[in-house]
Amino acid sequence: MAQEVLLGLFDNLEATTAVLRDLERQNIPDRNIEVMSNVPYAPKVLGRRPTRQWPFLPFVLAGVLGGLAIALFIVVITPRLYPIIVGGQPLTPFPPSAIIVFEFVALGAMAGGFIGFLLQNRYPVLVRQMYDPRISEGYIGVAVRADDQAADSVADIFAAHNAHDVVREDAARYPVQSRRFLAFWAGLAVVGLLALLAPLLLTYNIIDIPWFNQMRESPSIGFQEGPRRAAPAESIPIQGPVLINGQPATEPLPASEESLQRGQLLYEVNCAICHGMQGNADGSMTKYFPEAPVLTTDRVSGMADQEIFMIITLGRNRMPSLAENLTVNETWDVVNYVRALREAGQ
Amino acid sequence: MLESSADRTPYWQEPLPEDDELAQQVAHARDEHLLVDARPPAETNSLMFRAMTRTGPLFWLMVLGLGGLTFALFATWVIQMFYGLGITGLNRSVMWGPYIVNLVFFIGIGHAGTFISAALRLMRMDFRRPIARLAETVTLFGLALAALFPLIHLGRVWKVYYMFPIPTQRELWPNFRSPLLWDATAITAYLIGSTLFMYTALIPDLATARDHLTGWRKRLYGALSLGFRGTESEWSRLETLSNILSYIIIPVMFSVHTIVSWDFAMAIQPGWHSTIFGPFFIVGALFSGVAAVIIVMIIVRKAMRMGYFLREEHFNAMGIFLLILSLTWVYFYFNEYIVTWYGNLPAERAILQMLTTDASPLFYLMLFCNIIVPLGTLWSRRVRTSLPAMLVIAVFVQIGMYLERVLIVSGFLSRNELPFNWINYTPNWPEILITIGTFGFMALLYILWTRVVPIIPLWEVHEGQSRQRLPRIGRAIVPTRTEPH
Repeated sequence: MAQEVLLGLFDNLEATTAVLRDLERQNIPDRNIEVMSNVPYAPKVLGRRPTRQWPFLPFVLAGVLGGLAIALFIVVITPRLYPIIVGGQPLTPFPPSAIIVFEFVALGAMAGGFIGFLLQNRYPVLVRQMYDPRISEGYIGVAVRADDQAADSVADIFAAHNAHDVVREDAARYPVQSRRFLAFWAGLAVVGLLALLAPLLLTYNIIDIPWFNQMRESPSIGFQEGPRRAAPAESIPIQGPVLINGQPATEPLPASEESLQRGQLLYEVNCAICHGMQGNADGSMTKYFPEAPVLTTDRVSGMADQEIFMIITLGRNRMPSLAENLTVNETWDVVNYVRALREAGQ
Repeated sequence: MLESSADRTPYWQEPLPEDDELAQQVAHARDEHLLVDARPPAETNSLMFRAMTRTGPLFWLMVLGLGGLTFALFATWVIQMFYGLGITGLNRSVMWGPYIVNLVFFIGIGHAGTFISAALRLMRMDFRRPIARLAETVTLFGLALAALFPLIHLGRVWKVYYMFPIPTQRELWPNFRSPLLWDATAITAYLIGSTLFMYTALIPDLATARDHLTGWRKRLYGALSLGFRGTESEWSRLETLSNILSYIIIPVMFSVHTIVSWDFAMAIQPGWHSTIFGPFFIVGALFSGVAAVIIVMIIVRKAMRMGYFLREEHFNAMGIFLLILSLTWVYFYFNEYIVTWYGNLPAERAILQMLTTDASPLFYLMLFCNIIVPLGTLWSRRVRTSLPAMLVIAVFVQIGMYLERVLIVSGFLSRNELPFNWINYTPNWPEILITIGTFGFMALLYILWTRVVPIIPLWEVHEGQSRQRLPRIGRAIVPTRTEPH
C-alpha cells in the first residue's frame, strides 16, 4: 500500500485545531501528523501531546561531565606533570581551581544542551522535507503521512475546513531522515577532535618530533666536563688562575724594563698602601693591618713566581684578592717588580 | 465547546470593535505597542529583509569611513610592533594604559546583550523581544574586540604562544593561580556560550530568510538554518534549549566581569585591592552595556528604518533600565570610596587626593556623565522617549564609564606604594589611534552584520504578537498578554 504525504495550509488556529481533532477521529496516529507554524504554539493550544523534553538531560549531564573532566585535567593532572611551586601553595589550590571548574562545567553544559538540540531534531536535515515557504508567512501547515485510502479522507478533512492550499505527494519522495545526519556530525567531530588533539599530543610529548633545535638538545659541554677546547681566536679569555694538576696558571712574563715600569706603577697603586713603597711594610694602612709582611725577606724571595702570583690573585690571610684589580699580565708585572724590590733594597 | 472567536482569524487580523470610541482606543494601542500592532508576517518579514538587502551609497560611504578607521587600527598596531611599546605613553608605573581600559570597556558593553536576552527572557519581559538580537550582537563583537587588546598590549605579539599551554617548548605550564588565566577561560566560555545562545535564537529567522530570499543568501541561510521547518517538536526543543542556555549563561556572565575585576583586585595595588570590585564591575558593565544597546537601537532604527519594530515603548523601558543601573552604580561607587576614605591608608589617601587634584577634570566629568546626566534626565518619560535625548544621554554614559575605567587603570597605577615611582600618564598617538580605530572596527563589523543577519528577531516579535490580546475591560481597551503554557 503506497504511502502519501499531505500538507494542508490554514490561515487560522481555529481551523487547524478542528482539523487536528478530525484527524484524531480518523485514527491517524499522532506521530504521523506534524504541525508547522511561524511562531511556537503550545501543544495544549493545538490539543496535542507535549513533546518529551527529558532527552535533554543526558546531553547536559554528558556536557557537565566532559567539562568537569577537562577542568580536572587542567587543574589536577597537569600541575603534577609540570609542577610550578608558587608561594607555598598546594599544586591544586581550591579557589582558582573552583573558578576553572565552574567555567568549564558551564561551557560543557551549554555545549551539551546545544548538541542535544541538534541531535534530537536530527539536524542538519539532508533529505527532502514536506514544507511550504508560506508557513514562515504565518500559515499553519498540517503535514499528514497516510496510506492511500486514509489519504483521501485526510484530503476531505482539509477541504472541509477551508484549507488555503493542499499539497499531496507520494511519500517515497519524502524519506524519513535516516541516521545519515549522524555521519555528518561524526565527521565534523572527528575533524574537530583531531584539530584539538594534534597540538595536545605534541604538547604532552606523546608524539615527540624533533621539530627544531630545542635548547635542551643543543650540543653543549656541561660544567667541568669533557676536554677543554682551544679558545677561538680573538675570543675573550677566561681570566684568573686555574691550577689544574700542578700546571702553571699562566706563563710568567720576562722581567723586562717595561714590565718592571708597569709593575712599579701598579705596585704603588695597589700594594704600597700596606706593604710600603720599598716593600718594608710601612704603608699607611699598617696602622690597621700590622701583620702585613715585609717583601724583601728571604721567605718572600724563596717563593716560586707562581706562588706570589697566586697570593696576589687570591689573597692570603687578611690580604684581599686583587683578581679584579689586576689582569693576568699586570699581575706578572707586579710579581717581577716585587722580585726587583729586594735587589733594589740591597 | 466554547467559541474561541479570536482565533477564527489569524492573530494579525483581529477585527476592530464596532464602537467608535473603542475602535479609536484600539488604534491608539496599536500605535503605541508593537505587540498589539500585529501585521501579516509576510509584511514584517519583508520589512526586515528589504532593510537587510538594501545597501545604498550612504551605507558604502559608512563602510569606507569605518574601514579607514579599521585600517588606522591595524596600521598603528603594525607600527607599534615595529618600534615597540616604547612609542606609547606607557611607563614604569602605569604599565596598563588604554589598551586594558579598552579590554574592560568592550567586555563591559558585552554584558547587556546576555542580560537583556537571557535574564529578561526568563523574567518574560516583553520589551526585550525586538531588542534581544541587537544586544546579543553587541556582546558578540564586544567580546571579540576585547580579545584583541591583550594581543595589542603584548608588544611582541609573535611571542603570544607563551600564553598557550604548550609545555614541551618551555617546560612551562600556564599558572592557573593567575587571574589573567581565569579571565581568558571565562571570556572563552562566555564567548562560546553567547554564540550558541545567539545562534539558537537565530535558527527560525534564518529559516524565514531562506524561504524569502534568493541567490547566495538562500544557499547560505539554507545551510545555516539546518532544515528548520517550525514543527511543534522543533519549537518546544528550541524553547527548552533557550531556557537551559539562559539559566547557565547568566552566572557565566556574572563570573566574567567579576574575574575581569579580579585582574585588578587580586593585585595589592592601592585602590584596586578591594572586595567590592566584583559586583562593582558587573554593575558598571551592565550600565555601559545598556547605554551601548540604546545607541545601537537608535542608529539601527534610523538607518534601517525599523520604526515599526523599535518604538517609543522600547526606548522608555531601556531608559528606565538605564536609570536603575545608574542608581545602582552610584551606590557601588559610593561604597567603593567611603570604605577607602574611612580606612584612611596613606597610599589610598594619595589616590583620593589625585582624584581631586591632578585628575580632577576627568573625575568630575566622569561623575557628571554617570550621575548627573542620567539621574537628572531619565526620570522624565518625555526624555526617555525622545531619540535625540536618549542618544546624547547614552553617549554621555559611555564617556563616563570609559573615564571611570581610565581612572581605575591608569589613574590608580600612577599612585602606588612607592612615592618616587609616581608617574602621571598621558596617552601618545598610538593608543589614541588604536582606541578610535577599535570603535570604528566595532561599528564596521556591526553594520556588515546587520546586512547578513536579521537584526530583529522576527519570530520572537511574531510570538509576542500572537500572544497579545486587546480585551475590553469596562470602557477601556487594555493590552493583555496570554501565557499559553
